[in-house]
Amino acid sequence: MAENIISIENLSKSFGDHEVLRKIDISVDKGEVICIVGSSGSGKSTLLRCINRLEHQTSGRILYHGKEIRDVQREINKYRAKVGMVFQSFNLFNNMTVLENCMCCTRKVLHLSKKDAFDRAITHLKKVGMAPYINARPAQLSGGQKQRVAIARALCMNPEVLLFDEPTSALDPEMVGEVLEVMKELAETGLTMIIVTHEMAFARDVSTRTIFMDKGYVAEDASPDVLFTAPKNPRTREFLSRYLAG
Amino acid sequence: MLFNITEPTNSLEWVIFLAEKYSNMFIQGTILTLYIAISGTILGFILGYVVGLIQDIRIRKEDNIIKSAVFKLIKAICRIYVEIFRGTPMIVQAMIVYYGLRQSGVELSSVAAGILVTVLNTGAYMAETVRAGINSIDTGQREGALAMGMSPLKTMLFIVLPQAFRNILPEMANTFLTNLKMTSVLNVIAVQELFMAAKTAGANYYKYYEAYLVIAVIYFVLCFVFSRLFSLIEKKMEGKKDYVLAVEYMEAQ
Ligand SMILES: Nc1ncnc2c1ncn2[C@@H]1O[C@H](COP(=O)(O)OP(=O)(O)OP(=O)(O)O)[C@@H](O)[C@H]1O
Ligand SMILES: [Mg+2]
Repeated sequence: MAENIISIENLSKSFGDHEVLRKIDISVDKGEVICIVGSSGSGKSTLLRCINRLEHQTSGRILYHGKEIRDVQREINKYRAKVGMVFQSFNLFNNMTVLENCMCCTRKVLHLSKKDAFDRAITHLKKVGMAPYINARPAQLSGGQKQRVAIARALCMNPEVLLFDEPTSALDPEMVGEVLEVMKELAETGLTMIIVTHEMAFARDVSTRTIFMDKGYVAEDASPDVLFTAPKNPRTREFLSRYLAG
Repeated sequence: MLFNITEPTNSLEWVIFLAEKYSNMFIQGTILTLYIAISGTILGFILGYVVGLIQDIRIRKEDNIIKSAVFKLIKAICRIYVEIFRGTPMIVQAMIVYYGLRQSGVELSSVAAGILVTVLNTGAYMAETVRAGINSIDTGQREGALAMGMSPLKTMLFIVLPQAFRNILPEMANTFLTNLKMTSVLNVIAVQELFMAAKTAGANYYKYYEAYLVIAVIYFVLCFVFSRLFSLIEKKMEGKKDYVLAVEYMEAQ
């Protein structure tokens, strides 16, 4: 049996009266690539943000290697360094160059030496094809390039799990491919990933498991083959047909 | 002396006469004005950043009661300080601080009191500027750093503040220029700055108009020089528009 990394148990989250996540149970094993799909407002981002602790759940638990992360800043920081996140809006640091973006957190969080941080940054920037742009600033890059840098930056931390929140949704159509390509290569290396996406073909192709979320519930959690060809839940069928119809 | 006017007959001659006769006093006044404005502004900036940062502290529902109570109290004190100093004229603050301290037995020189008032006044305005500057930075910048395990403090220091600083630099320059001029009110607590120099010089000959013209020119030159200097610094901070491709990492396609 594969090693369990993250285990979400009975997780609920409300903003005021608005219940956004309802009793979510998801277990993530090492090496899994989980794609989460679902219509807008179904709580996908909120779920990822809870996993990364950017949001605090109303009830339920998130276990990391079987242990709950206590609400102590130091522990949260340590945990986050292992659970990276790539955002829809890239969130590259605007006051830094591409290289500085990739070295900043390894230096300030992992306390790597300058040389080690540099080597790591170059290694991962090469992986995403952005090494020639180390001197550029985020504002000087295209959306696809920014997202590739953001992925490299997250990889520099050597995360155990990488969370992606709609990494291609803010991109022009012609740039979506280059980012998905990078993510596909990552999946092939065995990195554990949780990806919220609206790219159905990608989800079907790359994920080892696909989750369909509906109104804050996990409506269906199955292998992509089952979910995309013979979904059990009528809501999934409805969603997919709407999606495939355009 | 440069012009050697002994019996001035018109305003222009009076201006020159007074400027020469009291050159020492005007120079001393200029130096003191600069001294108070510069030290008061710098210390005020520091105070403003501290207060602005405190006001930005987010109290989370999960924090324990004592911690959030302490933070709430500190934040309330900061808020009151900012409101009071933004809501009263500096000339009144000068009087209250100077005479208030004297009455309570603190022997403070008028220059020290002048700097203190400038610091408190600048701090209150800067706190608001810093807060607005921090708020102007997209939350994505914060979250990008937090999500990778950077502590909230480091995130503030290395990611948010540097960007906020750039945004509020023009406002900081503006604050300094304002302070340069506002030191003139400190004559009410007997600080021998430029305004006081003009008042003294003018009174000796009953030539107020001419004496104030002298310092008007000095204030103007100071402001002009500093504002040019700040523009230069801002240009420098803007940085390069283009970047160099690191060709050593280009792969043969
Ligand atoms: N900070 C917040 N305060 C209040 N409500 C929020 C907050 N964040 C999200 N919500 C609400 O929670 C619900 C779920 O939002 P979420 O962003 O998780 O959806 P999503 O599935 O990611 O949607 P999308 O596909 O559009 O990104 C929405 O109705 C949203 O309005
Ligand atoms: Mg979302």
